[in-house]
Amino acid sequence: MQTRGNSIAFDKVSRIYRRAGQPNFRAVDNVSLTIAAGEFVCIVGPSGCGKSTLMQICAGLVTPSDGTVLVGSTPVTGPGADRGVVFQQDSVFPWMSVIDNVEYGLKCRGVPARERREIAREYLARVGLGMVETSWPKELSGGMRKRVAIAGVFANGSGVLLLDEPFGALDYVTRHQLHDVLLGLWDDGTSSPRTILFVTHDVDEALTLGDRILVMGSGRVVDDIAVRAARPRTPDALLDRDMVEIRHTLLRHLGLEGPRARAPELVAAGR
Amino acid sequence: MTRNKRDTIIGIVTLACLVLAWQALSIRFRYEIAPGVPMVPGWQVVFTSTLKSLSLYWPGGLGVQSVAEGAEPTYGRALLAILYHSGATFARLACGMVLGMLLGTLLALVASWSKWGQRIVNGPMLFIRALPLLAMIPLFQLWFGLSFLGGVVFVAYGVGVIFFTAVLNAVTNVDRVYLDNARTFGASKGHIYRSVILPSILPEFGSAMMLALGTGWAAVMGAEFLGAQSGLGYIIVYSQSFGYLDRMFLIACLIVVYVTVIFMAFRKLFDHLTRWKY
Amino acid sequence: MLKFGRMRLDPLGLLGVAILIGLWFVLLPFTPRAMLPSPVQVVRYLAESFFYAPNFRYFGLADHSFLSALTYTVSNVLIAVGFGSAVGILLGLFSARVSALRAGTDPIALTVGNVPILIASPFLLMWFGSGRLSTVLVVAFYVSVTLYVYSQRAAVNLSPVFEASARTFGASTPAVVRDVLLPGTLPEILGGIRIALAGSWGLEAVAELLGDQRGIGKAIRSIATAMDVEGLFAALLLLGLTAMIVDLAAARLVSGLSSWRTRDETETA
Repeated sequence: MQTRGNSIAFDKVSRIYRRAGQPNFRAVDNVSLTIAAGEFVCIVGPSGCGKSTLMQICAGLVTPSDGTVLVGSTPVTGPGADRGVVFQQDSVFPWMSVIDNVEYGLKCRGVPARERREIAREYLARVGLGMVETSWPKELSGGMRKRVAIAGVFANGSGVLLLDEPFGALDYVTRHQLHDVLLGLWDDGTSSPRTILFVTHDVDEALTLGDRILVMGSGRVVDDIAVRAARPRTPDALLDRDMVEIRHTLLRHLGLEGPRARAPELVAAGR
Repeated sequence: MTRNKRDTIIGIVTLACLVLAWQALSIRFRYEIAPGVPMVPGWQVVFTSTLKSLSLYWPGGLGVQSVAEGAEPTYGRALLAILYHSGATFARLACGMVLGMLLGTLLALVASWSKWGQRIVNGPMLFIRALPLLAMIPLFQLWFGLSFLGGVVFVAYGVGVIFFTAVLNAVTNVDRVYLDNARTFGASKGHIYRSVILPSILPEFGSAMMLALGTGWAAVMGAEFLGAQSGLGYIIVYSQSFGYLDRMFLIACLIVVYVTVIFMAFRKLFDHLTRWKY
Repeated sequence: MLKFGRMRLDPLGLLGVAILIGLWFVLLPFTPRAMLPSPVQVVRYLAESFFYAPNFRYFGLADHSFLSALTYTVSNVLIAVGFGSAVGILLGLFSARVSALRAGTDPIALTVGNVPILIASPFLLMWFGSGRLSTVLVVAFYVSVTLYVYSQRAAVNLSPVFEASARTFGASTPAVVRDVLLPGTLPEILGGIRIALAGSWGLEAVAELLGDQRGIGKAIRSIATAMDVEGLFAALLLLGLTAMIVDLAAARLVSGLSSWRTRDETETA
């Protein structure tokens, strides 16, 4: 099955939360943004900057107070199979076997049982879980459950994938393994990879994965950086001069670098 | 308007609708079981003639003649009757609950002292808990009568089983980390019971209390239905046998108010006592 | 632990049962026979009256054996649990997702839920007469209130990420209910049914006792009126064993249907 990536266009999107007795909170503030088909875009920003809300608006799980989102040429009106989502929490259904989970989207779209089983098998094998098809999710580790979730959205053939801090709760090694799995599925040698919007709070994760890194702060996009380094980007590749430069920029945006960001005793110790 | 406020309003409106629906039913179905006793008594009947008729249940004393002795039914006598019979019910309930709570908790703490004890009592408890409480009223009636002692013992039994089970379960489930921690400080077993086990089973104790309150009320009502000569349950069955549906209704409303107030009070109290919980 | 299939029996627990029965024998010489019958007599009474009990006719009971009385009681309980849980689950799940409905139903359920449902029995007897309908209604009422609370809590506790995830896969609302809400709340709802079932036996018995012509409860009333203490113990023993067996069967069913849950969760449930 051939899936083509879709472009995403945010047009003056805002999301305002009204709170009793307090000024309105603008979680997303007049964001206009275009993402090309097949692009791998990472969004970084401190917690509360609106990155998750922006993603949920694109997923159709949150309705914008103002503005529109176009995926391809279709405006977003609610959740739909054209946009797959991998959540931060464990979203694999614990009451379905691993393979039923991967098949779920195809089942919702009425794909015949035999065909969807075949597709699900293929993707399970590609995330390295061919041997646990019939297991319950409880028998898997957290990282394996994330693989199931990723296999599910890829199997469903969505042109746009939205990943909301998907690896935030995983350990260092597992996270790096999953980066490889994700990149392998994304760029599988076909001419038109899917479009990926990847929210993270981890600067190194964004540097390892993205073609383009968006920085958000207070509901707005405050910077938009292109990353041209070749993949795969090993930890060593992040030490490249251009990468270090981008890294400094990102850390500055996050308030971790600058005149008073480092504790004086650490500076004195020469670290 | 915030959601909480809206919900409170919806709740009040719903309850008001129920009160009005009852009134509408009483207008729609005017059938009378006996002359002057409607099948569905409207509120204007319940709070006047029905209320007054409760003075029949005042047994006399305190210098106030009973209706049986020739006095007229009055609202004052009705109030005395309500107080007298509420008192009887509450006395059974309170004595039974305190007795059951103390015995159940004490026995559970004794049984929990050793792992063997816990396992030995688990077998019989499986059966004792399966015995349907309300079906055992005739047995307690046979053993203790149901005037006062029987009611109290019956409530105590029902409540005791709940506390025994809950406390035993809670002691078994105390987090090992706390026990090990106390042990590394060199605490003795008695000391661990006082300083670790008792405080950490307090939340369980609270939920057992709520459960026991429900069971206690059911038990005391059951006991009064089946043979007591006083109490709110007695008025209900006594009225039922003469077809006074309005009196049953008034007493049932009174019980609803009592139970709701008591539950809310206990919930507040336990929320306060266990406010350190995560 | 002794294992019988999936059931575990603790030999110490059996020892406890033996101690209880031993205590009963020890007490026998010190208590009047009219208050405490010998266990042997009770078991014999139960065995003799199980298929045919001549004295039931003498009591004027419509049932002629423990078996027919038990059949009536068990079928009433099952009917009441069936209807009551259907209503309770529907309202509970709906109220968990529609906050305006919940604002209306919660105050009623919380008030009615705490009041002993038993007090509804005399009213039902007057409105619907004595018989099966009144009996079943009381129990069904109790079951529905219990299941309302359990299924609502189950739906509230179910992480919203599952429903969101299903919708991003393109699931329609009926599909979300069928594939997420129902299976996700099933274990807790089944647990609630077990609790409601356990409470139903006593309520059913006392409802029969107050105004029905059949069932174990009615038999208990007649037996107790005749001061037949052996019969009373036999009837209670029968009812207790039935409740226990049904509960064990329900427990197996629950653990079978909830096998997807994490191991420690199923153990505490």
